[in-house]
Amino acid sequence: MIKAKNRTGLIFFPAYDWEITPSHPERKERLLYTQDQVMEEGVLDIRGIREFKAGLASQEDINRAHFCVPDVASRITPSHNVSAGGCIEAARLVLEGVVDNAFALVRPPGHHAMRVVHGARGFCNINIEAVMIEWIRRHYPRIKKIAIVDTDCHHGDGTQDVYWHDPNVLYISIHQDGRTLYPGSGFPEEFGGPRAQGMTLNVPLPPKTSDAGMLYVMEHVILPVLDEFKPDLVINSAGQDNHYSDPITNMSFTAGGYARLNEMLRPDICVLEGGYSIEAALPYVNTGIILALAGVDYSYVREPDLDPSRIKEDSRVMDYIKRLSEKLLQLWHDRSSMQPPDGPYMERTRSIFYDTDGISETQKEVIRICEDCPGVFRINSHASTGYHILGIHVPWGACDECRDQAQNWFDYPDDYFYAVYLQDMDRDAYTVKVL
Amino acid sequence: MILGIDIGGTHTDAVCIDDHKIIATAKSATGDDLVRSILEVVHALGIDYSGISRIVLSTTLSTNAIIEKKYAPTGMIVSAGPGIDPRLYFLTDDFYLVEGAIDHRGREYIPVNQEQVKQIAGELKGKGIAGVGVVSKFSVRNSQHETMIRSIIEEDFENISMGHTMSGSLNFHRRLNTTYFNTAVMPVQSRFVGSVRRALRELGIHAPMLFLKADGGTYSSSAADRLPVETILSGPAASMMGAVALCRDLNTTTLVLDVGGTTTDIGILIDGVPILEPRGVNINGLETLVRGLKVVSVGAGGDSYVQVKGGTLCVGPQRHGPPAAMGGSAPTPMDAFAILGKFDSGDRDRARSAVSGIAQTLGREVDDVSREIISVMVDNIRTTALDFIDEVNSNPVYTIYEMLHPELVKPEQVMIIGGPARQLQPYIEEAFQLKCIVPDHAMVANALGAALARTTAQITMLADTQQRRMICPELDIEEEVPLSLSFEELKARGTAIIKENAAYLGLTDDVEISILEEQSFNMVRGFSTTGKNMRLKIQTRPGIIREWSSR
Ligand SMILES: [Zn+2]
Ligand SMILES: [Zn+2]
Repeated sequence: MIKAKNRTGLIFFPAYDWEITPSHPERKERLLYTQDQVMEEGVLDIRGIREFKAGLASQEDINRAHFCVPDVASRITPSHNVSAGGCIEAARLVLEGVVDNAFALVRPPGHHAMRVVHGARGFCNINIEAVMIEWIRRHYPRIKKIAIVDTDCHHGDGTQDVYWHDPNVLYISIHQDGRTLYPGSGFPEEFGGPRAQGMTLNVPLPPKTSDAGMLYVMEHVILPVLDEFKPDLVINSAGQDNHYSDPITNMSFTAGGYARLNEMLRPDICVLEGGYSIEAALPYVNTGIILALAGVDYSYVREPDLDPSRIKEDSRVMDYIKRLSEKLLQLWHDRSSMQPPDGPYMERTRSIFYDTDGISETQKEVIRICEDCPGVFRINSHASTGYHILGIHVPWGACDECRDQAQNWFDYPDDYFYAVYLQDMDRDAYTVKVL
Repeated sequence: MILGIDIGGTHTDAVCIDDHKIIATAKSATGDDLVRSILEVVHALGIDYSGISRIVLSTTLSTNAIIEKKYAPTGMIVSAGPGIDPRLYFLTDDFYLVEGAIDHRGREYIPVNQEQVKQIAGELKGKGIAGVGVVSKFSVRNSQHETMIRSIIEEDFENISMGHTMSGSLNFHRRLNTTYFNTAVMPVQSRFVGSVRRALRELGIHAPMLFLKADGGTYSSSAADRLPVETILSGPAASMMGAVALCRDLNTTTLVLDVGGTTTDIGILIDGVPILEPRGVNINGLETLVRGLKVVSVGAGGDSYVQVKGGTLCVGPQRHGPPAAMGGSAPTPMDAFAILGKFDSGDRDRARSAVSGIAQTLGREVDDVSREIISVMVDNIRTTALDFIDEVNSNPVYTIYEMLHPELVKPEQVMIIGGPARQLQPYIEEAFQLKCIVPDHAMVANALGAALARTTAQITMLADTQQRRMICPELDIEEEVPLSLSFEELKARGTAIIKENAAYLGLTDDVEISILEEQSFNMVRGFSTTGKNMRLKIQTRPGIIREWSSR
């Protein structure tokens, strides 16, 4: 009998009846071998590790994190209610003290879903971490500062987008360099909105980076940054496509490396994201992560075909990572000297492509540069589906002036919108006006 | 005539059934010699033995052997490969690790080190060990390593069991425990069967002997010789099957309370079938793969010791001998019933004097305290039952369909069996706000359950058409299959296999075959489908033999 050091909750929801298409990487079979491995290893018999049933996220839960166009029901399937609901359940277990940490091993994933949702991007419809975080902030006001460490191989551009302007949510992503992989973003220059400088931190790693490079970044960048930020809660977006056997990426992490990462990070909640080497990686990576969370020896967990000498990065890659780490740490330390721009408002325009659904969107975002609060913002969004909407976000702790501005934007739409949405965090209100 | 005998910790019960009727019942104290206890109770039935056509035994033999560690030293030869360190699961120094590894799809990636196996066999023999269990990780996906190790050592040991034949379910840790215990109790079981058979023959009883298993089914004594571990925890199974036999409306979801002297066992019947423990039962704190009923036990029974602790009245969980009303000294719920005039065969005055001490401590009337004793006991049972129902309903599910269409268990009635059933009935009805029934013969429900339980077995069928393989680990069957194998064909093959192997599995003709679990996945590699991964569990359902259920 094995006793774990920590009490670890496991929400396992493989969605055996959900797929994007039968041959898509997001198919029914994806977590089958993971379940086999976890069951065979007897992980659930370890004293301290307990499996719990997933829950269902409600429309209200989703509306705290997104502007779904035209509405939630049109943009999601029940699978998304369960995967986001699984994350919420994991958070509830941790925050109620039932467990010390929890792992939502759920699908479908979510980290490419942005605040405005016209369709699916990078296999994601809604951002399951963001839905969970907003649920946490709603129900546990004592949780003020949250850090997300996204270890998926792809840049979590959706999570970055949702928290771009949020000074209380630190988003750190390590991923394969965007010049070589979807979605093509996630560079150090992407550093957070004008009132949240440093609250986005991107670590683009060169292809072929293995455990050594990734653990170097953990030790020399991520842990020091977290030490300084002092979050009330740490979340790991535990994508597993950095694995050397992943069919759609070019990195060289191992199951042991992922386990060590979690042992160092000590997240409160892990959420599965990508990872498509369903036979050769996921069974071992997930076993490793669960053991690391529980504080059980994982040193014998190893892929059958692992040859450490074959995947070790060469010294040039390692030198590059060291220089990058130095640069990132410098950037982080300089964040407070970066002055927000003058002027009452700041504007940015961008185009977003929904690869999974083939939709193009253009956004014009305006944020009020506010001294007293994170600042109200609006997103004027136009998609190739024909929908043209305005989403207004009143942040947690919004001041009266920002609130007045939001109401004004809502009452007097200045364009031919299909609908205007008002998302008010403190009041937990979501108002829709179809024009 | 059918004879059912339930050998419990304190009592041995027997019941004899003929032509849909109970014609005799008997009860005697269980002694150290179980064969003698059986003979005593059979004798007490006072029946003519010549008409006996079937004998079913529910015994604590292997349960006690395991709990009290009364078995010969047993060796284990284990191959695992990478994963959780297997040595963390070793129970004794007689567990040995050999090189060898198989992955989750049953592919070998480290061959068994045969020289090492021979060397270990030599060491085990040197220790004077006669029984050896052989287990490898993922042996239910590919049994080749276990089979090979066995073939190397089979000349050297009397009893050998292999992990994949215990159960087709995944769980290396439980497979180790199960195989170890099975090997350990094999000699105990076969000695016992031999002596019982001889003793019964002397009485002129030649009927086939069956054993009750933890899942509420029975199997032949030859199957029990091979898999004695399945008889563990058959006691609660006997009671639950007794409840099935006595339940008149099987379509009603029923909460069963088997109230004994020290404990109350709680289980649930859905459509006349008790619910099963999903991953296997635990014995002595150790998890096994033995299929068994989901039953929870609470330390509240008719003889529970009543005391005042920190100003509050506590009932159980210990028992300090029989109730005062029955000659004991400590106050119990049965004494409370005696005081309230609901237990006529008990000595009311003795009961009153035992409870009066407690009444004095609390500064209250004896009658008042007696009512509270019962309400505390009932409350203990109710709290445990409600937690149990909650636990059943919070079992994880893995499909969206099941998430959106939860089938929640909600008992519609309560059935009480066991000693104080009649006394408790109105209180339970009040506490649960449900109709509460006490069937006739509630006192011998356990023996009745043993007598009437149908034979059961379960097999696992796995087809991996990409590898053109189909296996049934429990029966050591491996067949080549075409890439085009359909799920229906697999089901048909599984049903045929269970019928072809009925005798080996310990089944009689009286079985209902049903599919317990089914899963089918397309295996996609690159962007095309390369095969199907299909998984089936086929069982014969636990239930009551037709001779009784069609009455
Ligand atoms: Zn990814
Ligand atoms: Zn403001």
